[in-house]
Amino acid sequence: MEDLLFAAIDRALELGASYAEARYHRNANSSVIVRNEAVIGLGADVLDGVAIRVLVDGSLGFSSTNRLTRNSILSTVEEAVKKAKAAAAIVRRPIEFSEERLGRASYEVVPKRPFDSMAVEEKIEYLRDLYRLSGDALKDAVVASFVAFWEEGVEEKAIVNSDGAFVRSKIPRLEVYHNITLALDNQMMNRWEQHGASGGLEALDDWALQEWIPHYATVMERILAEAVQPPRERVDVVVGSEIVGLLVHESCGHPSEADRVLGREAAQAGTSFMRPDMLGERIGTDLVTVIDDPTIPGSYGFYLYDDEGVPARPRYLYRNGIINEHLHNRWTAKVYGVRSNASARANNYKGEPIVRMANTYFAPGDHSVEELIEGVKFGVYIKTYQEWNIDDMRWGQRYVGQEAYLIENGRLTKMVKNPALEITTKGFYSSVDAVGKDLSFEAGTCGKGEPGQGIPVWFGGPTVRIRNVPLGVVPQ
Amino acid sequence: MNLEEVAKILKAVSEGADQAAVKVVQRTETMLKIANSEPSVVQTWDRTVYEILLGKDERVFALSLEAGDPEEVIRRARDILSMASKVDKSPFYAPLPPPSGASPRAVLDETTLEKAERMGELGELMISAAQEEGAERVAGMLSIAKIRKLLATSTGVSLEEESSSVEAYLRAFAGEDGSGQWSLGGTRLDERELEEMARRAGRYAVMSRGRKGIEPGRYDVVLSPMVMGNLIDVVADSASAFMILMGMSFFQRNKPGDAVASEVFSLIDDPEDPDLPESTGFDDEGLPTRRKYIIESGVLRTILHNSATAKVMKAEPTGNAGWLMPHAWNYVVPAGDMGEEEMISELKRGIVITNNWYTRLQNYVEGTFSTIARDAVFYVENGEIKYPLGKIRIADTFPHLLKNIRALGREIFKIKWWEVPKPSKLPFALIEDVNISLPKI
Repeated sequence: MEDLLFAAIDRALELGASYAEARYHRNANSSVIVRNEAVIGLGADVLDGVAIRVLVDGSLGFSSTNRLTRNSILSTVEEAVKKAKAAAAIVRRPIEFSEERLGRASYEVVPKRPFDSMAVEEKIEYLRDLYRLSGDALKDAVVASFVAFWEEGVEEKAIVNSDGAFVRSKIPRLEVYHNITLALDNQMMNRWEQHGASGGLEALDDWALQEWIPHYATVMERILAEAVQPPRERVDVVVGSEIVGLLVHESCGHPSEADRVLGREAAQAGTSFMRPDMLGERIGTDLVTVIDDPTIPGSYGFYLYDDEGVPARPRYLYRNGIINEHLHNRWTAKVYGVRSNASARANNYKGEPIVRMANTYFAPGDHSVEELIEGVKFGVYIKTYQEWNIDDMRWGQRYVGQEAYLIENGRLTKMVKNPALEITTKGFYSSVDAVGKDLSFEAGTCGKGEPGQGIPVWFGGPTVRIRNVPLGVVPQ
Repeated sequence: MNLEEVAKILKAVSEGADQAAVKVVQRTETMLKIANSEPSVVQTWDRTVYEILLGKDERVFALSLEAGDPEEVIRRARDILSMASKVDKSPFYAPLPPPSGASPRAVLDETTLEKAERMGELGELMISAAQEEGAERVAGMLSIAKIRKLLATSTGVSLEEESSSVEAYLRAFAGEDGSGQWSLGGTRLDERELEEMARRAGRYAVMSRGRKGIEPGRYDVVLSPMVMGNLIDVVADSASAFMILMGMSFFQRNKPGDAVASEVFSLIDDPEDPDLPESTGFDDEGLPTRRKYIIESGVLRTILHNSATAKVMKAEPTGNAGWLMPHAWNYVVPAGDMGEEEMISELKRGIVITNNWYTRLQNYVEGTFSTIARDAVFYVENGEIKYPLGKIRIADTFPHLLKNIRALGREIFKIKWWEVPKPSKLPFALIEDVNISLPKI
């Protein structure tokens, strides 16, 4: 296959491309779906193909195929060059890439516990147990339905380009998704969760789903039985790690994507409140540092070289409350006059590499969660969420709490129902007055691009306290 | 690929199985992506997808293989079938139906496919049309695809059809804060429709400059077909039996015959409409598809089923398979009797929302959700647009929204884009008493 990739590069250059890139990209997954105690079915999916990207007269062309013969791959190159040439007539600002030291390397994530060390029967039993244990943990509520998806797979890539990159990688990943729906009297509620990591079955130990899901079922039961309306006035809010992680992904990671800043995603995932000249401006208190780091071992968004062959490193997006760095590929880096920080990724052979986050997190502080709560006279602790969204400039966002408590005189008292934290990006980061040391990560599939590319990421953070913010109420 | 070749694959993957179905989709597509009023990338795809359903001893196996090596398709199918003895019977196992007279219905327009060679020119048409309306910069996309679908099952179904698909959308910007977006989806590319789509985006951009704030609270709203398409996607998904069985539907506690929406509102799943690119003569099990009401004059009429969900829920398949999840093909909301301006004139204190995104649910069973208005939003008093608004959110429940639809527009728009994933024919809608929220700090 690698010979074909090099042949593709040669062909593109012969046809007049000033830059050419060929990527063999294979994602192969196996899955199990269980509903309550029943196996719905087993599944397998494979995405196996080649992606070509060329620059011709300043115009960018992308083409891909899953017909992996020499003729088909060379035709794909010709198509990319032809279509890029045809559009070059209306390109006003020719696309160029930054100069980089590109990788020539091969790397592989080696699982501690390979997928095949657990038989399919055991995987099924593991998922069924989650349902049984949840039901057993409940007093009055019942599990109306429990659905769990198990997916394990390997992503393999070989990337070559005309600037000298040659990077092979192999990353196994494990994912478990589940939705539990509870009924109590005439009320129902659901909780959807996603867990993901690179590596093997060792991730199951970290997730501890056999403890977590039954525990959370009892939390949901309490919400249905006890939760009262949240306060409507301005209050102090202790924001749980689960929400902080999502919040930094949405309101720091996404607006820091330089391709958004430059308008390339304006009609799809949107633009950004940031401009290139806002680097160095204050966005939050000194306690706010947000890092995006692809190199965290075991992370869902793990990689060591991006899909343009640039070596990965941690990116400090907000540093001590100051906007510090944007996420770049080689095109945005050229426009900014900086070096790429290795953010170009494609989800499979059908996707062009675009600027993506990897593992974005709010750097932990020095408070325990108890200390954060003790410091609140009257407020709300919002520990988990279900509904969330953010506007396309990544400024106004909303997170609706699921597990949430009233705080009175430094202690958790009643559960509150659906408190809505609706706040601007600067409003949140400027209100942070204390940061926990309880860093944890959640897995997500981040969407961006056209066609949409879902890509594995982690987002994380500690519990964080914000002062004097208004809460919204969800309509009944 | 032809039906003979698909039959060979079916034969190979059927070995050892009690039943099998093979769907092969070949898709060639060209897409021009526009940003800052110029092309950002031209993309093309040429790919073949093998989707395989296998049944053995009442176990179910589903594969989706975009394999580079066709031999891998057969190998993977055999590998997964070898696990049959290790798993229990599936309640989602149902015998595949025998051939039942389905015939091809998809629309292929060769003239449209030829236009994929003129992407630069068509992109320029979109850009200049929006600029003529006053847009200062635009971003968007134009895509033209040819899709060939072949289906063979172990019960003797052998069907194929070809279709063309067009999707286009443009987001236009004007001034410091003006923006407007519109879209188009169909089986044919008509340059006049493409131009009008771009012009509407441009007009909205200009009209929405100089945005002001608003107090949160309850308002009557006019939702554009762009917004309707996004919200209806959740409604139609909720009518899928699979989503009901997963506990992720706000029709969880309903049954056909229940009043779930206002009498003025109907939602049709229409695989027969020649204008809409998901039109098809047969579903993934080879059953004939048909036009059907999901909601008719406010009454829930159809839960969408494949053979498996029909068996579980003791119903009949509706020609909507999806092997795992039954789904609608195209969304059609029949027109009402009001003009766009007339609808706005009905608002005493209301809001017009022309586009939205990021719809998320807090509780799937209750249908509690929020979504964010994007691009042009207007505040209306006593029937007149007073000023454009900044970003606001609809934060409400789907049952409340559906029951409060008061009127529908008489003009129908063909819509499809990132946030409206199914081809749709939709009018504007006037909905009363909708909760609007926005950040206060």
